[in-house]
Amino acid sequence: MNGLKETAQYVLQALLSAGAQQAQCSVSSGIKEEFNIDAGAFSLLRSVFNSGVSMKVFVDGKMGQAFINSLEKADIDAAAAECVQSARVSVVDECYSIASFTENADFTDGTQKHDRDCFFDRVREFLADINSEFPKIMVEQIIAEYVEGNSVLANTNGVLYTQHNANYSVGAMYSAHEGEQTTSFNSFGIDYTDPDSRIMDLGNCREMFARCEAELETRPLEDKFEGVAVFAPACLDSMLSTVLDNFCSDGVIVEGTSPWKNAIGSAVAHPSFTLRVIAHDERVVCGERVTDDGYISVDYDIIKDGILQDFCLSEYAARKTGLKRAPSTSSCIGVQPGQVSYEEIISRIEKGILVCRFSGGEPATNGDFSGVAKNSFYIENGKIAYPVSETMISGNLAQMMHNVVGISSQVICDGTCVLPYVAFDGITVSGG
Amino acid sequence: MQNGVIFLLNDWIRQYADGAADHTEIRAQQAFNRAVTLVGGNLVNNTRTRTGGVCARVYKNGLWGFASKGEYDEASVRAVLETAKENALFMDRKLCAGKAPLLAAAPVHYETDLVFRDVEQKTLIDYATAIDHYIQTKYPDLASRSVGVRSGCIEKLLHTDNGSFAHQLFPRTYFIISMTAETADGETVELFDIVGGGAGSFSDFYDDPMQYADRIDSLYEELMQKREGVFPNAGMCDCIIGSAVAGMVAHEAVGHTVEADLVLAGSVAASNLGKEVASPIVNMVDFAHTALGEETPLPVYVDDEGTACEDAILIKDGILVGYMNNLESAQHFGVKPCGNARAYGFADEPLVRMRNTAVLPGTDKLEDMIASIENGYYLTRTANGQADTTGEFMFGVCMGYEIKNGKLGRALRDTTISGVAFNMLKTVDMLSDTIEWDFAGFCGKKQPMPVSMGGPAIKCRVNIGGR
Repeated sequence: MNGLKETAQYVLQALLSAGAQQAQCSVSSGIKEEFNIDAGAFSLLRSVFNSGVSMKVFVDGKMGQAFINSLEKADIDAAAAECVQSARVSVVDECYSIASFTENADFTDGTQKHDRDCFFDRVREFLADINSEFPKIMVEQIIAEYVEGNSVLANTNGVLYTQHNANYSVGAMYSAHEGEQTTSFNSFGIDYTDPDSRIMDLGNCREMFARCEAELETRPLEDKFEGVAVFAPACLDSMLSTVLDNFCSDGVIVEGTSPWKNAIGSAVAHPSFTLRVIAHDERVVCGERVTDDGYISVDYDIIKDGILQDFCLSEYAARKTGLKRAPSTSSCIGVQPGQVSYEEIISRIEKGILVCRFSGGEPATNGDFSGVAKNSFYIENGKIAYPVSETMISGNLAQMMHNVVGISSQVICDGTCVLPYVAFDGITVSGG
Repeated sequence: MQNGVIFLLNDWIRQYADGAADHTEIRAQQAFNRAVTLVGGNLVNNTRTRTGGVCARVYKNGLWGFASKGEYDEASVRAVLETAKENALFMDRKLCAGKAPLLAAAPVHYETDLVFRDVEQKTLIDYATAIDHYIQTKYPDLASRSVGVRSGCIEKLLHTDNGSFAHQLFPRTYFIISMTAETADGETVELFDIVGGGAGSFSDFYDDPMQYADRIDSLYEELMQKREGVFPNAGMCDCIIGSAVAGMVAHEAVGHTVEADLVLAGSVAASNLGKEVASPIVNMVDFAHTALGEETPLPVYVDDEGTACEDAILIKDGILVGYMNNLESAQHFGVKPCGNARAYGFADEPLVRMRNTAVLPGTDKLEDMIASIENGYYLTRTANGQADTTGEFMFGVCMGYEIKNGKLGRALRDTTISGVAFNMLKTVDMLSDTIEWDFAGFCGKKQPMPVSMGGPAIKCRVNIGGR
């Protein structure tokens, strides 16, 4: 880490020497070791040695940015000169800034020691477990990796943070096959820290494979109706990310196109719904410790009991709008679990759909969305009736948030998010 | 850099590839990206990046070892080669796969004559600012606007142990504008367009910022139509997939299902080779570098395994006739590889990827196609798409029109279409006689990859989403 600290100081000095008045940099190095399984068989061991230097400078209120993947002094000098030159020819904006000094800190998270042999054996065991427990599953690809990184963030205000992270991660794509029948591809990913973990026991692996095998005999839905859509945790994650992008992020708040632009302190969701950034939650692996802007990261509520508490703004957007900078820039989110079980939520639904993956167009800025409900099941008279094919769902994200009719007490944690099943009413479901 | 021309990579890797055992590739790369983004007139991105390094990949008894470093000198070349060999041996020791040696393609030698002329950041900022000023001044009623300019280049130097050598440049430049308008009921609608550009340097395409004023005006007019737009009636319908959207049919609906690695993983194409999968008027090709007598938008002459690139014929007269392969899958299927193994960054291994994938044009006129539909939709712009190994596909549609009694009607709001590729293609009964290419997209499949896709207007039946 001392070498990276020295490099960071060298970068700042190079930027100042080139003419920067304020400067911030992030210097990193790391290694990734990755096993690939393709079409059900091991195919590759990949080692990546990486490094990077990102730079941001201000000259007379104008900004320049640069990135290189070299820690060599000559390359840093050249990039620093180019970065400062980019700022000189840029435009003045009083809202540009770098992080203020508060306190410096060193952060260490994750795995203490990498064990390649043990990890390989566990990945091989995982493949064997899939084959023996779920014989209809065909693995398209598994990427199992160990990632270790060191980084230093420093600026000319005296900010200096160091971070060391290391963790394991497994991502799988698969489908189920029987005779001529085949399912859509399914996928899941999980982050964890102990190489000696039985992978099949992590997260909800078994549930995901079992559900995939249950998808084999799909039927197209003939009907079109408005009903309840229950979003499974992994699918809920992508829907909520879109909600945050469309309604709470820099661009839509600065430009004023978000339907929530004046909604801080107002109800934007059902009173049972609480959404929080949870990078420090003990179930999250190597969560964010320093924000993208260079501040110590703090978890916070975005929506509490249905009331919008905060947007997800960078310091630049906060200064542009006079609103608050978000205390965290992490994408690790958690939804507060409910009081009823997933099974009870399903039992209350007369007509609806369990959505396990959504494949749709980019939702419009107003929140309108439509797309295909993949790996999904028709719900009828309180029971999962059958898996569906060629079925589309549509609705509006902003309205949907008010129409929560159930949140499960069970949550699924994949190392990045902690999410329950959530049921939303008023979703249009249409078959082919 | 000299007179704006990027210095090319030194060839420090030949000597190491020449003496390598088993199948070995060594690849050095550098990439330049210049980006400027204005959102509502605010400069939110003003970045210059340069990345580069070297990688090696070694094949041993059916298993690969790979290593990369973000440095490029002789010591790094030796280090990645050594680690890649160790990785291959580790896998071989653990798994004893014992597969036959990899059959290399015939050696190829290719050296580009392209150059990439770098662009000053000031030029990009001035260009973007002028366009932003034009939009702001002429269309002050917009709720939001953004202008982005991108210019970059990837340079690759490849040696393989069987004597293949390739030195290629992949420049790409474009600008993208986005506009958002408020509707009467206080909601917002938006549209974006990628304007001009292609496989070249900034100066090859852009000079006067007003050269594309008509494209900006057209986008605004379409946005105003969309502002008053309606939602389609959800369900199966007759559609004309416009030529600007047709590339998605080629890439998403069909292309991914016929990538050989996905075929081996159980895609629907596995049981359809040699069978009728489309109407007899449908033909589809993944072009290497030349299509219909012209260079393709993203020409690839040698792939990253050292195979000379040829066109991969996928559908001929409605029959599925081939897949896209790398060396391993070509050996598995007993066919000649056409050079579809592509890697994105220096730290990435080659995967089976598309290049310039297109449905070939037919003989119909667009106006006749519209006139042939009593009640349906004409879909003119898309934002994204996704494929499935089952052939079920989805495209986001961000602009389109109703067709009523053979005439265009009201504009549409955002929607989505979906279908099952080999079912939908059998419903195709008209293809327009022109082709349109989309060259600015990235395909996501473990790694991003610049790809181009194209096609004519396609008349077919698909499932459309509503509200």
